Amino acid sequence: MTSVSFTPALEEFRQLTNTDREIQANGKYYSCNFLLDMAEHKLLVRMHRGTVEDMIVDPDPLDDYDFAIRAGAETWAGFCEKIPPPMCHGIWSASFQRDMRLEGDLLVLMQNLRCLTRQIELLRVTGPLF
Amino acid sequence: MTTVNRISDVSGHYVNLEVEGLRYKVFYLESGQGQPLVCQHTAGCHNHQWRNLLEDQDITRNYRVIAYDLPRHGKSDPPSNIEWWKDEYRLTADHYVAFIMAFCDALELENPVFMGSSFGGNVALQLAWRYPERFKGVIPVEAADYSPGFYLDWWQHPHANAAQVCASGVWDLMAPQSPEQDRWATWFYYSQGSEAFKGDLYFYSVDHDLRGKLAQIDGHRCPVVMLSGDYDYLTPPAASKHTADQIPGATFIEMKEIGHFPMSENYARFAGYLKRALGEVDRRSALQPPPTHSAAREPGAPQSP
Repeated sequence: MTSVSFTPALEEFRQLTNTDREIQANGKYYSCNFLLDMAEHKLLVRMHRGTVEDMIVDPDPLDDYDFAIRAGAETWAGFCEKIPPPMCHGIWSASFQRDMRLEGDLLVLMQNLRCLTRQIELLRVTGPLF
Repeated sequence: MTTVNRISDVSGHYVNLEVEGLRYKVFYLESGQGQPLVCQHTAGCHNHQWRNLLEDQDITRNYRVIAYDLPRHGKSDPPSNIEWWKDEYRLTADHYVAFIMAFCDALELENPVFMGSSFGGNVALQLAWRYPERFKGVIPVEAADYSPGFYLDWWQHPHANAAQVCASGVWDLMAPQSPEQDRWATWFYYSQGSEAFKGDLYFYSVDHDLRGKLAQIDGHRCPVVMLSGDYDYLTPPAASKHTADQIPGATFIEMKEIGHFPMSENYARFAGYLKRALGEVDRRSALQPPPTHSAAREPGAPQSP
């Protein structure tokens, strides 16, 4: 693994989240920490009331989070296309039909499913984060 | 297409039924005239999924389209003669089929075509297996012989917002190319059905299992035309094709750039495939002698030649 600095795409992901009408309209209680395990790099996202409070690239071993979304590079590449190919169009489809794994406290994921689903779709706008 | 200041040709009715001792007041929408086309919505949803079909004059000029709400969905209440709130709801294949047959009998439908999506598609297969002589044909949409894995506690977990979990849990079942307004309408319907969704999925993922029985379906006597979209993560095209390949005489059509709720998420795209399917049912049924309306065989019993 190579160290990586904050990329423009990461900053765009933060800005898009914090200004997204849907998330801001429905995210009053969208507060949780989750890990996007994107194979080469990992991203820890700390959400607070619908806003990205912090993002940590390749967090340390004891940095904690509620749940993790893990998949291989090819699956995440599909998520980052403007129109994702079949089965790369959401965490449910990729979990049922590809190599995505949902791990950790899935109750927290379910409690925040609506906003999380929208936020993951912002990858279609940013393109690859790393 | 609906326009402002115009009253739709679609009308709504109630019909009272008794099914296996349970009394139901069933709501249905209908439009058009001619060949009856009975439409079943997906699990945890209601008949508005068929809203655009009901107003498609290309179809309704030749078909009497009938889209009911299954009991416990939409405007069809749970049974009125039992304390249903004291039991866990789990829809069985036997009761589901019995309901559909009672509904068709109550409306005195002759030789209807039955179409359903998802758990409606699976029950279409059940109908072709159990009552082939009662239907002109069936169109199982997004269906398979067996579809495990979706009977989940998450749909009714009291620590999460069940309405949002159900609605956003099925969001990925739709294709990103489908119109946003229609995807959100479908999401909205799903936010209304969380109390029935899990019980419906007992049929979908547990009680429905036609593995090893598909060869007993006579796709010549009751034409079976299966449709599945390439963005469906529950019954992807390969699963439906695998099912159709085991049914003598069945046809499978893969739908591109569409998902698990084709009639609701993108009717304009679905309509072309549907017309092909209806044409195929017509073509195949024209090759068969008129139905005899013989008594149904017992589920699982061999089909008479």
